[in-house]
Amino acid sequence: MNERGAVAIELCGERLQLLPERALYWERTATLLVADAHFGKAASFRALGVAVPGGTTGGTLARLDAALDRTSARRLVFLGDLLHAREGRTDATFRALAGWKSARSGLEWTLVRGNHDRRAGDPPAELGIGCRDEPVLERPFVLAHAPKPSREGYVLGGHLHPAAELSGEGRARERLPCFWVRPDVTVLPALGEFTGVASIAAAAGDSVYAVAEGEVVRILRA
Amino acid sequence: MSAAPRLLDAAERWFLARGWTPFSFQREVWDAYARGESGLIHAATGTGKTYAAWWAALVEWLGEQPRGARADEDGSPARGRARRDASPPLRVLWVTPLRALAADTEDALRAPLISLGIPWSLESRTGDTTPGVRARQGRRLPTALVTTPESLALLISREDAAGLFADLRLVVIDEWHELLGTKRGVQTELCLARLRALQPELRTWGLSATIGNLDEAARALLGVAAAPGSWRIVRGVEPKRIVVDALIPPVIERFPWAGHLGTQMVPQVVEAIDEGATAIVFTNTRSQTELWYQAILDARPDWAGRIALHHGSLDRKRREWVEEGLRSGELRCVVATSSLDLGVDFSPVDRVLQIGSPKGVARLVQRAGRSGHRPGSPSRVSCVPTHALELVEVAAARDGVERGAIESRPLLDRPLDVLVQHVVTVALGGGIEPDALLREVRSTLAYAALRDEEWRWVLDFVVHGGEALRAYPEYARAELDERGRLVVENREIARRHRQSIGTIVSDAQIAVQYLRGGALGSVEESFVARLKPGDRFVFAGKPLEFVRVRDMKAWVRRAASPKGVVPRWMGSRLPLSRTLAELLRARLDEAARGIYRDAEMAAVRPILEIQAKWSRIPRSDEILIERVKTREGYHLFLFPFEGRLVHEGLAALLAWRISRQEEITFSLAANDYGVELLAPREAPLERALEAGLLSADNLLDDVPASLNATEMAKRQFREIARVAGLVFPGLPRSGKTARQLQASSGLFFDVFQRYDPGNLLLSQAHREVLERQLETSRLGRLLERLERSRVVITEPRRTPPLAFPLLVDRARDRLSSESLADRVRRMQLALERAAG
Repeated sequence: MNERGAVAIELCGERLQLLPERALYWERTATLLVADAHFGKAASFRALGVAVPGGTTGGTLARLDAALDRTSARRLVFLGDLLHAREGRTDATFRALAGWKSARSGLEWTLVRGNHDRRAGDPPAELGIGCRDEPVLERPFVLAHAPKPSREGYVLGGHLHPAAELSGEGRARERLPCFWVRPDVTVLPALGEFTGVASIAAAAGDSVYAVAEGEVVRILRA
Repeated sequence: MSAAPRLLDAAERWFLARGWTPFSFQREVWDAYARGESGLIHAATGTGKTYAAWWAALVEWLGEQPRGARADEDGSPARGRARRDASPPLRVLWVTPLRALAADTEDALRAPLISLGIPWSLESRTGDTTPGVRARQGRRLPTALVTTPESLALLISREDAAGLFADLRLVVIDEWHELLGTKRGVQTELCLARLRALQPELRTWGLSATIGNLDEAARALLGVAAAPGSWRIVRGVEPKRIVVDALIPPVIERFPWAGHLGTQMVPQVVEAIDEGATAIVFTNTRSQTELWYQAILDARPDWAGRIALHHGSLDRKRREWVEEGLRSGELRCVVATSSLDLGVDFSPVDRVLQIGSPKGVARLVQRAGRSGHRPGSPSRVSCVPTHALELVEVAAARDGVERGAIESRPLLDRPLDVLVQHVVTVALGGGIEPDALLREVRSTLAYAALRDEEWRWVLDFVVHGGEALRAYPEYARAELDERGRLVVENREIARRHRQSIGTIVSDAQIAVQYLRGGALGSVEESFVARLKPGDRFVFAGKPLEFVRVRDMKAWVRRAASPKGVVPRWMGSRLPLSRTLAELLRARLDEAARGIYRDAEMAAVRPILEIQAKWSRIPRSDEILIERVKTREGYHLFLFPFEGRLVHEGLAALLAWRISRQEEITFSLAANDYGVELLAPREAPLERALEAGLLSADNLLDDVPASLNATEMAKRQFREIARVAGLVFPGLPRSGKTARQLQASSGLFFDVFQRYDPGNLLLSQAHREVLERQLETSRLGRLLERLERSRVVITEPRRTPPLAFPLLVDRARDRLSSESLADRVRRMQLALERAAG
């Protein structure tokens, strides 16, 4: 397995890798977790008369490929917002997903539905994506979209599209997508190519790992 | 044809009855208009330009009436709805740049209608117009309509547009100099071309302050197709003499070098207000308006109720109350932004103060003109420095006024975002054949040089979404119907487009409203987005506590303490004009030679002498570079005194050139005087100088490269994305669809950059930064000057006065030749960040 640019952490006795492809790899269960792919977002913009270029779906899938290639994942779990909106349910988008899936035949896909999925609807059955409502218990973790603490276990979620605001000497500043590891929840960065970010306010006791191009970097508090 | 003498007499009699005589320039306009000519009238504010244009249309109408037909109308015109329905259809469109001016203009236009019993209806239509009036205007437009460029574009987007203008005779563009050189000005040019296509007999008259490039201003107004001899430039009355002085701070040593607010000056400002009956205190930004209003009120609580503030974000009722108070002389003082630069007169005003540098000669002249209406008395403006070095700018501005060095307004060259918007607007307005539209578009000065491939791109972008979208049939904005006409079929797109037409002006506005009752005005959405419930801010002179955003309104309640953040509106920092920059360099050169020839220069002398002692006052043939080490890192300061916009480009260029020498990360700041390059370790300055740091060579490669390495184009794209209809203001009634369309312009920029790098809106962002923001030609000339200059490097132990404002500047760009991960490893989580 290639760990270049990734960072390994331990949570609840499980080893997890934070990958620069904005994915999290759970080693023991060989599961790759991603959040907020928002497939079909560009298509829904186009359907409503906004000219977003094509190619973002392919870009997001390429990111998934890179993450799968560096791990030996047998399972892929989307932590919500797989699809962006009803208007984005276009043939082109689903064809791209189906094409990608057929090249990854051994892989098991699961979607834990998020707020966008509830409006956009489940992906077509032919894709063979198992769809579940949140929360999904997979001890010691609770897989969810909304990153709310749970009594059932430690939560892995998305929804926020977290970004870390960084500063340094010489008045350096950056704003980067990040993994936000809190005492009871870890929030994954948004996977999708056509997604925005929202800055987080990290508290004492949180760890923040920024995605700096091809590398995940642990950020120290000032 | 010439205006019948009998009718011109009617105008003269009306003027005489008011103790006025028409000016010869007004008669010239009436005659020219009667002969079918168009034109541009330039003169200072309040000198009769309005009536020059308005009476031309009135005289024409009077001439068309059968002899004697008006007699019974004198004195008692029919009133109310019946009269409006009986009034003639739309004849005059009066376009004003600020909706705040519409009410005043309407009053001025109404006076002769009433006294002559002319049965015209006259109404305004702006963003302030109530839904009821809008609905009435939807059924039938008044005879004369006062409107803004955006509302005019909305009229053009109506399906019945062609019929609306069938009887239109005259369109007046008021305060044309304010629109010129802006995207709204270009939008106006396009709308005028549309009106002329619909109504070829239409005459266009522009009213403008005197500016440096009047010929260009006229060509932009009238279009490049206007035949010679069919138009003229008319000069109004001679300007009054203008006196410029400064309120000199008593204790200059303790004066803040970079203070954003010279509150030390409040006692003197209050004293100056006390000298006259009514004063206007002009500031450069809306936030300064709020701060100074509060400071003056704190100093003179007895003025409560007789002092007011005025800026474009305030609720219309509040603005009108203030304007009325100024006219009646009830107000002691109004603190205002450029919202009071324009428009009709406030005669009682006898004292004008300008907080901070005016940044340009024309602007200072305009503001000075607000005072001194007694015949023979000069207009006087007193500048209030907000930091000591601004005294040099005041002295330089006076030099400019004395020499009549009035700035030109540089024009925009074919901004494609505005064209994309206009094409959809016209497609909505009943449809058009693309070739006809192209002829029309090319008749404007802004798009006279539009290339065929650019036009094809715009059409393709509107119809197919551009090359990158050809494979995506779901895209549709405008389409070609079976007759080959460009139309918009989708009603949802039509609605959204109409909503976003107004967004050339600014970011989406959110209304500020008390939980119980009254509306206060509006602020930019980006400001509200940063507020958390419980945050305090000052608006409309009132301390407020933010409660929540709901229904596209920011709900607030009164806060007890007057302390709080003041909204920072966008575009608040005016750059120094090129003219004033040149005059400023001459004044500093004098100071370097020990010449301090007036009160302002004498007052700032101690500061300049500190500058000379710690470092140097640059002569006009020198470029000063200061190398300073502080706790923050290693600073390089350079002082070309060329204005902020050019300096932003220069900072990026210098940082980029140095970063070719070795891996280094810079934080950049620029102001009107110079630039700062800050790095965590010492930059290889000497090596870079030897390699041509200040060379004018390779600019065509180096400037775009440095631009790409910063966020400048990305920031510029904000506006382009909005105008071209990519991002939407979250307006009320937007509903669910709009929520699915939320994406920031930054995200669009990244996605275009990656998946559609040939997109011309992207190139436009780069071009705009190059040409407009950075004024490439000016940057090129600057480097030629720097190349010839003697480089003087000093190494002061402390930050000298000239550098100090740059040191504390927070608005920064960044440029690096190190890898992102390497940089991030040296960084920490920013502390001051609020919840996202």
